[in-house]
Amino acid sequence: MPLLTIGLWLANVLIDTGGQLAFKAAAGDPDAGDGLARWRHMASRPWLWIGVGCYVIEFLVWIAFLSLVPLSEGVLLGSINIVAIMIAGRFLFGEKLTRLRVAGILLVSLGVAIVGAGG
Amino acid sequence: MRRFYVFGFLLLMAFDTLAQLSFKLAGNHALPVAADLAWLLRVFGAPWIYGALVGYLGAFFTWMSLLKHAPIGPAFAASHLEVISVMLLSVWLFHEPLTVPRVLGAVAIVAGIVCLGLAESDEAEHATANGAGAGPG
Repeated sequence: MPLLTIGLWLANVLIDTGGQLAFKAAAGDPDAGDGLARWRHMASRPWLWIGVGCYVIEFLVWIAFLSLVPLSEGVLLGSINIVAIMIAGRFLFGEKLTRLRVAGILLVSLGVAIVGAGG
Repeated sequence: MRRFYVFGFLLLMAFDTLAQLSFKLAGNHALPVAADLAWLLRVFGAPWIYGALVGYLGAFFTWMSLLKHAPIGPAFAASHLEVISVMLLSVWLFHEPLTVPRVLGAVAIVAGIVCLGLAESDEAEHATANGAGAGPG
């Protein structure tokens, strides 16, 4: 796989994880309330906008990445984001890594490795 | 509540699938890849990018509604079942071959996603038993 493709793949994992964590910080705020008030509360704090910013950059990175690989391969390689987000959720939000979750993380990583190695 | 999640995740899957197919078409149209204005103009000059935007925005609002209660990891995992729909549609629309590594990889990834979904059900049952919400923290 060419360096540019690998670089775009790595950038996508990092930016996607950052964006998801920002959205979780925005959506999980216990003071946010309900309905329209909840959206207003989220819009007045930076987390939602950091998430949106990450998404805009990721949008372009992902288009560039997908134009260099077959779509079926691209979406499978993109599944590594699941692993990154779960590990980040564990460290930042204290979400538990049970045995089933560890098994899931290992299986997804194995799948991505198979696709990455074999095409 | 269960029906709400099933419908929500199916809607998310449909939006995500639309977005991925449009991303691919937009990217193909804009080749070769370059970090410059010409590439951006090629991306935004074709209609595909707007299909991606519709999918992205639809997925975003569906996702934010689901995230209010679901823990981020498992919800994110469930949202990734679109790999199956996208893969099958890629064979049909882009004539991509289903190579052995892709099929094996997809099986492992889907098995992993199922494990994460099961882990979520366990968690939700515990939370209900304790009379607490499923959200962390």
